[in-house]
Amino acid sequence: MTQLLRIELYKIFSRPRTYISFAIIAAISGVIQLAMLSDGGSFVNFALQGVNEQFDIQGKVLNGYLVTYITLQSLLIHIPLLVALVGGDAFAGEASMGTLRLLLTKPISRTQLVLAKFSGSLVYTLLLLIWLAIVSLGVSLLLFGTGDLINLKSDAFVLIMHNDILWRYAAAFAFAGIAMMSIASLSILLSIFADNAIGPIISTMGIVIVLTILSNLELPLFTLIKPYLLTTHVIGWKGFFDDPVPYHAIGNSALVLIIYTIVFLAASIIFFNRKDIKS
Amino acid sequence: MAPVIETKNLNKSFKDFKAVSDLSFSVNKGDVYGFLGQNGAGKSTTIRMLAGLIFPDNGHVFIKGQELHNNTRHLLQHIGAIIERPDMYNYLSGWDNLKIFASLSNKKIPNTRLHEVLELTGIADRRKDKVKAYSQGMKQRLGIAIAMVHDPDLLILDEPTNGLDPQGIAEMRKLILHLSHDLGKTILISSHLLYEIEHVANRMIIIHKGKKMVEGIVGDLLHPGDTLIQVSMLPDTDVAGKLAGSAWQVYVHEHTSSAITFKMDPAQVPQLNQWLVQNGMQVLEIKTKHLLEEYFISLTNDAAAKD
Amino acid sequence: MIKRYLLLFSLLICLWCNAQPAESNASSLFYALRTKVLTVHDYVADVKMKINVAYMRLPDLKGKLYFKYPDKIKFERNGGISILPKKNMNLAMSNLIPQGKVMVIDAGYDTLGGKKVHVIKVVPEDEGNIVLSKLWIDEQALVALRTETTSKDGTAKMELTYGMYISQALPDKVVLYLDVKDYKLPKGVTMDYDDNETNSAIKSSGTKKSSKGTIQITYLNYSINTGLNDDFFNSNTK
Repeated sequence: MTQLLRIELYKIFSRPRTYISFAIIAAISGVIQLAMLSDGGSFVNFALQGVNEQFDIQGKVLNGYLVTYITLQSLLIHIPLLVALVGGDAFAGEASMGTLRLLLTKPISRTQLVLAKFSGSLVYTLLLLIWLAIVSLGVSLLLFGTGDLINLKSDAFVLIMHNDILWRYAAAFAFAGIAMMSIASLSILLSIFADNAIGPIISTMGIVIVLTILSNLELPLFTLIKPYLLTTHVIGWKGFFDDPVPYHAIGNSALVLIIYTIVFLAASIIFFNRKDIKS
Repeated sequence: MAPVIETKNLNKSFKDFKAVSDLSFSVNKGDVYGFLGQNGAGKSTTIRMLAGLIFPDNGHVFIKGQELHNNTRHLLQHIGAIIERPDMYNYLSGWDNLKIFASLSNKKIPNTRLHEVLELTGIADRRKDKVKAYSQGMKQRLGIAIAMVHDPDLLILDEPTNGLDPQGIAEMRKLILHLSHDLGKTILISSHLLYEIEHVANRMIIIHKGKKMVEGIVGDLLHPGDTLIQVSMLPDTDVAGKLAGSAWQVYVHEHTSSAITFKMDPAQVPQLNQWLVQNGMQVLEIKTKHLLEEYFISLTNDAAAKD
Repeated sequence: MIKRYLLLFSLLICLWCNAQPAESNASSLFYALRTKVLTVHDYVADVKMKINVAYMRLPDLKGKLYFKYPDKIKFERNGGISILPKKNMNLAMSNLIPQGKVMVIDAGYDTLGGKKVHVIKVVPEDEGNIVLSKLWIDEQALVALRTETTSKDGTAKMELTYGMYISQALPDKVVLYLDVKDYKLPKGVTMDYDDNETNSAIKSSGTKKSSKGTIQITYLNYSINTGLNDDFFNSNTK
């Protein structure tokens, strides 16, 4: 198993494609930082319109913490894509390359292969998040400095003191790890059914996008299924930027995500063990 | 001793398509077993069932007497296989590919062994190049290196000469004979070309539409006496009369005024030719073709006609 | 039409005549208070601010509050973000008490916290933002304990508690009551994380379209008349 994992990691990290994801994250984060450097003031004014009617908000609203929050917010859609890029490729990529059949003529257990590929994707995902933390939080703090964080929710204006923020980011990134783990397991499951990697990558994205829309639609029918949707919980990291922090809800979301992960992983193992390798 | 491979009533369908039907055969220790069939005859499906890639609908595969399905991991240690194209991780070097697959063989394989198989397959000096820069022939050799690196008793080689030039085919044949004669491996080798099999295999099977057509010892199946000698000549009205009185009469398979087919050992062709000339028949061409080949081609034509 | 104006005019005259005896008393009280308040040209105070508005979730803000007569005010939190109600709901006492010529109307007496207070209404004669000011004045200490200012933007109510700085009419604690308009951003924009806890917290606090909010300011100390520069208030540290 460790040998399989070592090989998976070796394969993941000897491909140029893997590093494209890291470059994309740095690029998105950089573009947002650049935009905020050049025109952050008007952005902040625009966002604070509703509050500015009645209150004068002074001080360094545009700071590293806020820019990081904005970056994370907009990467909501992108990170799952990057995770799917590796997860969706896990089996389908090998199937299309033709290496899967060679791999499976070796005396390895299919269950262990699924677990190794999942662990490999997980390591990649976590490194991606650490990288995200460096280029978004690290660089933003260097460029914009620290400050108090204003978090605008649809129905609330939350202000968090500058010395009360860093741990929230640490917790948020840890939560994002759990969330992305569920996305990785979903993309691996889809990957098992496909013989080329594009299918599962696109499908994972499609599912994430559609569910995100459902999660955000305020319709009675959807409110009913909302607590069960993956995407409702994927953004649980935002809970850490509320006051008070809704620990119960976050814990619940983490649990739902872990259950999803286990279900996807178990399904992957079951299906893969029965799959005829025809590629 | 149990056969190295034994299948019993293998069946496999994909949706409505019956790929393999009631297929039973056995490969004994030391055999070079030719697995012959047209494209689409069910070779690939069968071979994948032997390597644990595809699960039969019913029937069994036994490797060294043990049911494959229940002991896949254990039994695969004794098998080295290349299935269809020799696909590798293109973005890695030949050495890295070999190293990766060697490390999955459940036993410690020293680097000296890796060098040994690379020497044997003749790609040692290109081991550091990325596989994407390899020719088809080099990939095929690397595939064989990967298949044999853990020193398995049984090698399953699916169309190993695909994409090779004539020299490559000759070298591959040499390598297979070396593996069999000098190293005592049991080898199952598939092909859609009879002449590739007949020079290396000692036993063979022909399958068609998923069913076994012929199985046996190559020497028996390709017995020289079963060769067809086809003589083309200028039309001669008295062919029947001339044959009737001669010793060649017994070998006649069929004849017209401009063609006679004999079924006999090709060693006698010079004498036959002499007799034909002496009897005033103006020979245009003499072709020899084995009955099995004729039969095999008829299967092809069948399949082609169906397409 | 003319008849109607005449009627209104005579009514006003009558009112003014009736109020006349008490009026001079109320007027002098107002002017005395105004004079006292105006002795403070500027101040810097360490304050603790507690904003209690349904849609705002924030900790107590500690910082320095700068004031300069007549209407300059600034809250600074050492690089942090500061939040103040808009200018027209100004916190400075002198700003709640109309400047220039005013009409003072006596509104009798009331009791606030067991104290008898004189209630007066002040209507500025100049065109300005303030339309009407109602003051609850402790005659003995000569400080306003409560104000209600109606401006073009609405009504702001303030309650003041005094301590050490009562002689300068500077409060120790101010509670500002204000009407807060509803705040809402589209969910599609904010992509909120729905947790039932905070939602139910809002529901239980009964937030609806427009609601009351309070801002509580505790003044810890004052430095009075330090001669603050106007420019200081203009420097924007955004």
